[in-house]
Parts: sequence; C-alpha cells; structure tokens
Amino acid sequence: MKKYSFILILLFFSLYSCIDEPKLEENNHSGNFESLWKIIDTRYCYLDYKAINWDSIHTVYKTRVDSNMTDFQLFELFGNMLGELKDGHVNLYSEFNTSRYWKWFTDYPSNFNSSVVYGNRYLGTNYMFVGGLRYAKIHNGEIGYIYYGDFSDRFSDVNITNIFTYFKNCKSLIIDVRNNGGGYLDLSEQFASYFFTQKTVTGYMQHKTGNGHTQFSKAEAITTSVHETIQWQLPVAVLSNRMSYSATNAFISKMKIAPNAVIVGDKSGGGGGLPLSSELPNGWMVRFSSSPMFDATMQHTEWGIDPDVKVDMNASDSANGYDTIIETAITQILKY
Amino acid sequence: MKKISLTIFLLSLFSVCAFTQQTSDKKYSLITSTNNAALTLFSITDPYLSPISYSGIGVGIEHAERKYFNPENTDFSMQHKLNSLVGIALNPSFSASTTYLGGAFSWGAFYHYRKFSDVQILAGATTDGQFGFKSNMRNVNNPINVDMAVNLNLAASLRYDFLIKNKKVRLIYDFETPLMGCMFVPMVGASYYEMFDLWNLRNTIHFSSLHNKLAYKSALVLEIPMRTSVFTVGFSSHSLKYGANDLVFKQNSFSLLLGYKINLYKFKGNDNTAPSNFISTEK
Repeated sequence: MKKYSFILILLFFSLYSCIDEPKLEENNHSGNFESLWKIIDTRYCYLDYKAINWDSIHTVYKTRVDSNMTDFQLFELFGNMLGELKDGHVNLYSEFNTSRYWKWFTDYPSNFNSSVVYGNRYLGTNYMFVGGLRYAKIHNGEIGYIYYGDFSDRFSDVNITNIFTYFKNCKSLIIDVRNNGGGYLDLSEQFASYFFTQKTVTGYMQHKTGNGHTQFSKAEAITTSVHETIQWQLPVAVLSNRMSYSATNAFISKMKIAPNAVIVGDKSGGGGGLPLSSELPNGWMVRFSSSPMFDATMQHTEWGIDPDVKVDMNASDSANGYDTIIETAITQILKY
Repeated sequence: MKKISLTIFLLSLFSVCAFTQQTSDKKYSLITSTNNAALTLFSITDPYLSPISYSGIGVGIEHAERKYFNPENTDFSMQHKLNSLVGIALNPSFSASTTYLGGAFSWGAFYHYRKFSDVQILAGATTDGQFGFKSNMRNVNNPINVDMAVNLNLAASLRYDFLIKNKKVRLIYDFETPLMGCMFVPMVGASYYEMFDLWNLRNTIHFSSLHNKLAYKSALVLEIPMRTSVFTVGFSSHSLKYGANDLVFKQNSFSLLLGYKINLYKFKGNDNTAPSNFISTEK
C-alpha cells in the first residue's frame, strides 16, 4: 500500500512539472528588458505588417541597458524602444510616467479648433449636452450637429431618441468625432447601428494564436446590426481628423459604408489594433496592439481611414469663426 | 356498551403501539452539515491578465452536507459541498491588484471502509463545477478573466477517532484531485470583446485531464464534540495548475478553517440526541 501511495505521489508531482511554464525573467534591468521585448515579439500584432525587424531592435537596445541606470533612464529607454512601433496604442505605464507615441497626429494638421466649434455659428454656449454628446441645430435649424469627443462617455438609446426627436425637422445630421481619441468599441458599434438600414458586415478582426509574427486566427466578421427602434435615414456627415483614433477609427470605418453617410475632413488617426495589457517583472504595465481590425474590404485600419471628402481647416476661415470642415460637410449633405 | 368501549380502546391502543413500533423500526438518514469559515492566503498566476504571480489574502465559507443514500446500508454516502472565496492579491511590486471571487459546487458518492477500529476510510468520486472571476482593473481590454470548469474528481477521506481527556475527538484528512473534465481558457490574444460581443469562442473550451490540469485539495480538520454540535478547526490547502492555448494558470491557497458540524434534525429540546433509528454518517 505504501509503495503504491509513493508511486501515486511521485506520479502527481512529475505530471505537475510536465505542464511547461514559460520562463519568467528576473526583476532586474536586463530581465525587464528581455520581458518587454518578448511581450512585443510574441504578442504585438503589427510587426510583419509594419515590416519592423524586432530582432535588430533587440540588438540595438540591449546594448544600451546598463545595470547602473536609474529607473527613469530605463523607462525612457523602454519608451524609445516601444516608439519604434509607431503605434498610439502602445504605452508603458510606471508609477512615475507613461510612455506614448503621438506622431500619428502631431505630424499632421490639427484640423480642429474648439473655440470655433464652441463659437456662436455652431454649438454656441446654449448647446444641449447628454451622455458626452454636445448637440445643437445649426445652419438656420436645417442641420443637426453633434460633437462627440470621447467614446468612453456612455450614452443610451434614450439619449439618442431624444436627440433625434430634437432634430426631427432637420434635413441632415453632422456627427463630429474630431479629436475623439477612442474608448469603448461597443459604443462605436451602437452609434453606427442608428444609421444602417440592414445588417451589414462592416469589418473583420483577428487575434494572435501563437508566438509567431504571422500566427493569427481566422478573421471574424464584425457585423453592424440595424437598431430596432432608432433610425436616422436622412443624410449624415461624419467629421474626422488625425486625432480620431481607435474606437473612433472603428466608428468611421463602419460609417464609411453606411447608407446616406459621407466622411468629411482629414484621414482618421488609425489605431486599428485592439490593445491588451501585460506586465513586466518590476510591475510596469505595457499596453500593445494585439488584435488587428480590418475594414469591410479586409484592409488594415491601423494607419487610418481615408475620408470621402478630404478637406483641411483654413486658417482664415477659423479666424472668421468658420470651420472649413463643418462648412464642407454642410455643402455635401445638402446635396443629397 | 362497556364491552364495546373497552374493545375499541384496546384496539386503538394496539394500533398506536403497532404504529410506534413501525416508526421506531424504520431507519432514516440524518443529514450532517458542516460549515466552516476560512481565512485564506493565496497566490494566482493568470497569464491572460499578467505573467506575474499575484499574492494576497481572502475569506471564504465552506458548507458541506453528507448523508447515506439508504439508511439500511451504511456503506455508501453522498455529499455535496459549496465553497467560496473572495480576496485581493497584489503583484510583487504592489503596483497592481487582482480581485478574486470564486466558488465551486460539488456532489460526490463515497464508500465507507470500516476495517479498522477507530479508523474509517471514505473513498469515492465527486463531480464539481467551478467558477472564478478575476479582475485586474489596470489592464486595458483584458481587465477580467473568468475561470470555468467542470471536473470529475477522485476523493478520499480518512477519519481517525481517539480520546483526549476521555473525550472522543476525530481527526479528518480529506483529499480530492481532478481526473478529467472540461474548462474555459481564452486565447492569449483574444479580447473579451471578440469572445463575448462577436461571439468568437473558438478554442476556448478544452478537455482537461492529467495531461493539462493537475490539482489537489486537501484538508486536515480536528473535530471536537460539544454538547449538541461538533467544533471544527483545521487547515486546508489547494493547488491548481492547468494549461491550454500556450497559457499556464496557477492557483495556490492555504486556509485556516474554523466552524461547526451538526446533524440536521430537531426532535424536542436542544439537548436531545437523535433516536437510534436516525442514522448519521458520522458513526
């Protein structure tokens, strides 16, 4: 009996060690570097798409890791290495700083002037405001204008019903998502559903299935449903600029194929990879694009969505209280 | 008239006696209920949330009920158990936390070996459903992971009775290990948006057996009889390791248990013991 018990216990512990665990790096400068590099190497989804030689990045940056570096210096080095990915969805978070890559909008015209949008010609001071949606009738009451600056601000169907009721005599609608850096994907789905007349495949999504740079799941269709009770079937213009990013980019991608919709402004900022998080041994958190998203034609949306009508803000228009992009949108939707 | 009345009285008396005799002959299964509160130290490694192990403290409750299938046959008993744990764990640098809320319900059948005096061995099988909710709110798009599993387990219990100051106390050692089942494990790169908004649940349900899931639960408990109940004190440990989709999950816990055990019956008065035809699995 004792013999069998011993064998059983031995079997249990041998099997226990059979489930191979990944090797964890030490919590020191070198270990944290290796850990960060490996997380990106195995889980970041755009290494091949962006033709980034991550092995050579390792070679270049590894030599810069010095055990005498302060945490601030190490953080800066890691931030610079992550900057090579040119991805606004990649950040490193510590107790003292957050690394970021912002060139996806700082290298482009801003195409948004809040003092003009909040000027008397558009929102003014008496605009309505609910669930993050600021709205007013513009252009002599012919057009409903909604400014939505953050897809993290939740709105409800009731909010939208009331807004559409307020706009019931308007001929068309403008949804301004410029400078909207994203938020919840499900909200972008919900917002788009008010403008579709039939269930439509508006994009696709994949995720990493293994450590290889090309190991992805089969593309899963993202379907935008028709909202059961709330519908806007008049012309709608969606305004975008380079700061329209992430969930906003996804919203623009859907609206691009919505009936009666036109995208006006600048190319959106992109951010087509759904970000996930992981952690280094020292507790710093890294966020990175993990699941690539595509538009309805299976094209990557990482670098942004081209507008239907490309227009930049004109400085003299701004000086006179006019928003060139809004004015162009008005012209476009009144053509319908 | 008097004769008739006497006959009726005697017949009534006879029938009451006969019924009483029938009642006292029939055996009933007593349900023995054990309730423990647990103070738990635990560690969690959930690579879907973070590759780093988090350690923390939690509290939980355990409730178990056992009875014989058939009071005429004291070889086979059944037991169901419900346990839960809520706790919070921190990463080694104390910069992030994982909140854990979990529980399990199990049902099992046991054979009672009584070959040795003072020692009783219960051996059997249990089946359980486990649920765990883990939340690391610092994460973006993967702030939550859920453990879901159904297991068929091998279970055993050793009971040893001995005297301390003429008081019969019982030492119990319980052991349980899963043999097979199925479990939910997300793909490492799949977000919950994709899984539960787009309903892409491919490769998330896995068959589990000793090749990819190893675990044990053990407990050592001392039972000290009190006037109408039994005081229980002990500790338990739980170790779980499973892997799928290139992810290896681990959970270890050590709990201090404190509770009581009672037979679920009520006859008259708090001090009254159950009649001998009410059969408890504790005997």
